[in-house]
Amino acid sequence: MLWFLRGIRRGVVTTRYPRATDAWARQLPSPPAFRSRRLTPELAARLAESCTPGALRLEGSELVLDLGACTGCGDCLTAGDDAVVPSGEFELATSARDALIKRIPIGAEG
Amino acid sequence: MTEEQRLSDELRERAVALFARSLHIRTFDSGSCAVCESEIRLLSAPHYDLHRLGFFFTPAPRHADLLLVSGAAVRAADTALRKTLAAIPEPRIVVAVGACALGGVFAPDELVHGRVDAVVPVDVYVPGCPPSPLALLHGLLVAVGRLEEKVRTLDFDLREELVG
Amino acid sequence: MSTAVAAPLEALHRAARGVEVREGPDGTVVARLPEDELRLAVAAIAETNAARFADLFGAHEEDGVVARLVYALDSAGQYLIVEAAVTDQGHPPISDDEPAAFVEECELFEQVGIRPSGDRPLNRVLLPPGAENTFPLLDGGRRSAVPRELHAPHHVRGEAFEFPFGPVRAAGWESLYMGLVTTGEEVLDLYLFHWHKHRGLERRLQGLDPARALFLVERTEGLSAVALGVAYCRAVEAAGSVVTPHSAASTRMIALELERIYNHAQAVALLCQTTGLSVGQAQAEIALEQLLRVNLAAFGHRYLFGVVELGGVRRAPDAEALGSSLPAAVDSFRRAVRALLRTNSHVDRLEACGILSGDTARRLALVGPVARACGVDTDTRRDHPWHPAAAELGVATRTAGDVLARMEVMVAEVEESQRLILELLPEARTAVVDVPRNAGMGLGWAESPRGEALAFVSLDEQGRISRARLRPASVRNWRAFDDAARARNVFTDVPIIEASFWQTVAGFAR
Repeated sequence: MLWFLRGIRRGVVTTRYPRATDAWARQLPSPPAFRSRRLTPELAARLAESCTPGALRLEGSELVLDLGACTGCGDCLTAGDDAVVPSGEFELATSARDALIKRIPIGAEG
Repeated sequence: MTEEQRLSDELRERAVALFARSLHIRTFDSGSCAVCESEIRLLSAPHYDLHRLGFFFTPAPRHADLLLVSGAAVRAADTALRKTLAAIPEPRIVVAVGACALGGVFAPDELVHGRVDAVVPVDVYVPGCPPSPLALLHGLLVAVGRLEEKVRTLDFDLREELVG
Repeated sequence: MSTAVAAPLEALHRAARGVEVREGPDGTVVARLPEDELRLAVAAIAETNAARFADLFGAHEEDGVVARLVYALDSAGQYLIVEAAVTDQGHPPISDDEPAAFVEECELFEQVGIRPSGDRPLNRVLLPPGAENTFPLLDGGRRSAVPRELHAPHHVRGEAFEFPFGPVRAAGWESLYMGLVTTGEEVLDLYLFHWHKHRGLERRLQGLDPARALFLVERTEGLSAVALGVAYCRAVEAAGSVVTPHSAASTRMIALELERIYNHAQAVALLCQTTGLSVGQAQAEIALEQLLRVNLAAFGHRYLFGVVELGGVRRAPDAEALGSSLPAAVDSFRRAVRALLRTNSHVDRLEACGILSGDTARRLALVGPVARACGVDTDTRRDHPWHPAAAELGVATRTAGDVLARMEVMVAEVEESQRLILELLPEARTAVVDVPRNAGMGLGWAESPRGEALAFVSLDEQGRISRARLRPASVRNWRAFDDAARARNVFTDVPIIEASFWQTVAGFAR
């Protein structure tokens, strides 16, 4: 009886996901999003260097982000000033591993 | 599309149709730091309650439809992983969760593969370190076709004009 | 040097010749002696009863392999490291005089290829069977022999049979193999294989820049990421004679206590799972989820990854969020526990289950709530403080040594942790000081939710890691599991005991 009453008093705490996304989820660590037009080759190199998990790599004129390796640690956010912001995305599941590889062009378009 | 690809897609569609409303999940720890396991356990906790989605954990691979694998695929666990998968009757789905399982944390060496798909074929990848229970729910729902994949169309390039 | 340190050192000087003593930057005392004197030294220290064995590990250095024994001198608030250059089969078994060192002695062989003399069979600890030829030693060298016995000798006769269980276990439980020896219901004997999860973390850390290595250190035993991270960072900081600012130390303390609280809530939830009390499990899990969200609001990560930084802390807690949400979450936990302790069907399963005696706890040098529940009054925060607030810490102990006692210790600790967090919150800041990259060695420690976490770091001339030793509490406490399981328990008690121990396989296997 004790537990039953306790449960009733507590009420429902269950998330309504996927029907609705909880507000607190916005605080979750998330992969970076880039303001690519603010990226210079020097900044891009610094970002790749700052990435401790090794999810961010410099490949020619592109910054390559491996979402599968990204831990949302935020090292790139610190190194990138306002060129890098949290994406807020956590719904990243996919059936194709290479769909997790994102390419960001460096610098403004011509 | 090759014939093989077509058959594979067809099988997947049938599997997905079977599992959408009732799915039994067998978990496997291939060498995690124990935090992914913590988030997986919370799936059955009141805040997430995977039962309301028709999902259940099962200790018996024979009763399972989906294998949820965490960890960096330590080689010493290969036999156990392969045997567990083999004990799950077809049709079945394999979901790898967490940066370790996706090849993100451990480069391969004599002790670890560093990615689960080096040992068993993986159907769905769920990033995160750890993936929160919400991310895990998303991954499971994608695996059974109840949610569309989002990441393919997500753009991590905000473009934005330079100010001034 | 205080008198409490003097006793083991005096014993050392009396028993052994050629002892050279130096003081480390962190207050650690290091005594170097020749291999021939090792046995006498260990025996003499063990006899003083003033030193708790904490770790034994080897490192490949210029002049060969150096073995280091770490002793915690709790009443002196210092650590003593006894080091000696060792050779394969060049000294009698250390565990003859210090039984607590047996597992580490086996690990010494697996990592650096050093065996004690005599023909004592060495257990396989981390090296999977058949891997002898493919897995090199820490320095990449080949091993000269293999562990002979697969597990501790035991006798299976009469009607007893051996029941293999694992490594694949219940949903969300780590991979762990258990060999249960039973006549059908009661546990006659039990042995564990952890090697399915051996990732070789210590080897991977070699050659890394210490700041980058922290990423892997946190993921050694993720549930103790803060504790192990703090121990490791303090080891590197000690090697560089760096003192972190007080505000950073306060932030580290807050993160440590948050880690403790959520871990203990998990332990209570798991205990309910193992006794089959689903409603209790649900209420404890509600509290656990609330606590993880407190962590997220305060520090940006549910499991507090990325809080500790080399030289300080990377983030300061969101004091407002923490101060307002923590009491409610702890209250959820408190109310769940109160209801649990009034549920006889649950408490009956915990009482007199998995009993460990104080003697066993001391003989095996256990740490954490597992030890405190047996009456061993050891707590690294209070005994080896690096923050003034820890000095007046209330440390909970019990004497029964059963599952209920362990749970009671954890519950009491949660209250003390909350008090400490709220006390330190006003002083917590982000602060990082530069840690120089030069050669050096250092020992670091912190009290993880499972007990004392130790780290030892040796840096080369470029300031890169040449040896990193990580010793989470799990490395110490699993060895008592078979003792606890054997004490008149049945099969179904084993998961309950495991939940009350609340160690991790990841922390042991690294």
